[in-house]
Amino acid sequence: MFKKILIANRGEIAVRVERACREMGIPTVAVYSEVDRHALHVRCADEAFLIGPAPAAESYLVIDKIIGVAKKSGAEAIHPGYGFLAENPRFADRCEAEKIKLIGPSAHAMRTMGSKTVARKTVQSAGVPVVPGTVDPISTEEEVLRIAKEIGFPVMLKATSGGGGKGMRLVREEGELHSALRMAKSEAKSAFSDDSIYLEKYIEQPRHVEIQILGDRQGNYVHLCERECSIQRRHQKVIEESPSVIVTQEMRAAMGKVAIEAARAVKYEGAGTCEFLVDAKRNFYFLEMNTRLQVEHPVTEMVTGIDIVKEQIRIAAGEKISVRQEDIRQTGHAIECRVYAEDPDRNFMPCPGLVTSLRTPGGPGVRDDSGVFEGFEIPIYYDPIISKLVVWGKDRSEAIARMKRALNEYVVTGVKTTIPFHIRVMNNRHFIEGSFDTNFIDEVFFKEEKERKLAHGDVAVITAAIQVFLGERERAIAQKPAGASGPVSMWKYSTRPGIRKIG
Amino acid sequence: MNYIGTIGEKEVKVGVREVGVARYAVTIDGQEHQVDAHQVQSSVWSVLYGDASFEVDVQGKNEEFEVLIAGDCYKFSLMNEQRKAMMRSGGKGAVGKAMVTSPMPGKVVKLLVNEGEEVKVDQGVIVVEAMKMENELKSNIAGKVKEIFVKEGEIVESGAKLLLVE
Repeated sequence: MFKKILIANRGEIAVRVERACREMGIPTVAVYSEVDRHALHVRCADEAFLIGPAPAAESYLVIDKIIGVAKKSGAEAIHPGYGFLAENPRFADRCEAEKIKLIGPSAHAMRTMGSKTVARKTVQSAGVPVVPGTVDPISTEEEVLRIAKEIGFPVMLKATSGGGGKGMRLVREEGELHSALRMAKSEAKSAFSDDSIYLEKYIEQPRHVEIQILGDRQGNYVHLCERECSIQRRHQKVIEESPSVIVTQEMRAAMGKVAIEAARAVKYEGAGTCEFLVDAKRNFYFLEMNTRLQVEHPVTEMVTGIDIVKEQIRIAAGEKISVRQEDIRQTGHAIECRVYAEDPDRNFMPCPGLVTSLRTPGGPGVRDDSGVFEGFEIPIYYDPIISKLVVWGKDRSEAIARMKRALNEYVVTGVKTTIPFHIRVMNNRHFIEGSFDTNFIDEVFFKEEKERKLAHGDVAVITAAIQVFLGERERAIAQKPAGASGPVSMWKYSTRPGIRKIG
Repeated sequence: MNYIGTIGEKEVKVGVREVGVARYAVTIDGQEHQVDAHQVQSSVWSVLYGDASFEVDVQGKNEEFEVLIAGDCYKFSLMNEQRKAMMRSGGKGAVGKAMVTSPMPGKVVKLLVNEGEEVKVDQGVIVVEAMKMENELKSNIAGKVKEIFVKEGEIVESGAKLLLVE
């Protein structure tokens, strides 16, 4: 086993990895930028090294600096978390050259799966179903039109090196194609400096379901069942759960098998995730493979009891996967809500700042993977994630009730958070019924919310009025001119009685 | 104390009286509500209203409030009645003499004009601070500053004469 692990990340995910290391008795090395000196991940680590100024491009993303710290500290392995360098094949190459074990798949696997078109081609030849469309990037509008007609409208234009919803355009009919193509290309160009586009059939009412897999160097593969990630806003996941209400036992086995085939096609090592789109008829299509730990991994940990980070570390050290497929059980139901420092009432505008007070939820079945504490200033430079709140219940309805309960216990002041938004989703009829697709939040939820009447306006006004009243009184006391009131001084001016003017 | 609350388009009258330790009688448009309110954590209040217990996060800036209760955000403004009245006062275009007086107890922060200076209608002439808010008071008429009765830094009572414009 490794004698020391460097964690090339910050915030809640760095803390999450440190927790696994600590439980395994492995010393950890943290890295931090100038604004992160007080951050939790620095305080939880055994060693910590400053790696530069706040902007990630000058600190957390600088390969030389991370490698330098690894050498200086004697770390034998690096856990990249997610984001930053986690899916950067150049970083993987460099680690290999420096003989430092990167906890994750090979650079080859990252490169193959990192390009959506290569990934499609690779998994397709391994027998994995993909969404009908092109495999190669297409350049001319005529070609786009020809293929779109071939597979049938609606189609989705996607950036070859895309992600996070950028460079994606839905085209419902031929007339929309010209402008959609132009916009997708320019968006892709500015976001990824690569304007190549490919095209897929658009799946109506799609659900996003993904399969967590593990692979080891000995060539063993298991899948840890599915996660339902259809609750998204602007193509970003915000709530995830396991199991998915639409996945049957047969479907689960079939999707798991396919995910393992995709992983095997690139000799995948460690933890990875195959994302699928599922249509209204429950056909599933491979979307992409994420070659890293996922934000939503705790959902799977809660239902399977498997610590995915520990598995990653053991696999990287050359050990076999600790479980066999037939021993993996999906027990109960888990839900994760991503708590961000964003203002849900202002279109989820990031809201960094000082956390002036904090009360985290507890009680049965609640897990809070947080990176903040009371008095922490959420920096403006990074993803404004505060925490991932995860609950487990014996079934979905208990999990929803528990999540609602935990969200209500969660108090964060000083910054706006997405907690109120999550409470609303947990109360939403469609969510409770499990009838939603990836368009739910943007197209259904917000419309329904607008029409909702709020119940406690009186209490809101009463409390604010009391606060104003007390504030005014406090200031009035402070403002009173000296001498007008206040305790009377017992010291009075007088001439010294002993000295008298004589004559 | 009395306040004017603005909720959407609607205005309500809000009155607050302290009736015991952490106990308040708050009237909203004449209807009285008795509550037990404790500020328990930064901006978070624990409010007992009848038998019901609420956790209320009050975020307020410049009289605009965003209050969070059980995941619902209530937005409204709340303004001291005197201040509201002051903001509304000032019939424009009057002629003759006009005395600028302080609508509330406070402190003269700054004189914006000198004696003898010409002023226009609605020109700010003096800044009075009260409740940590600076209020720029304006001249109702156009004319010349005839006399200034106060100095910067002076504490003034409600209704105090500040300056005369003629």
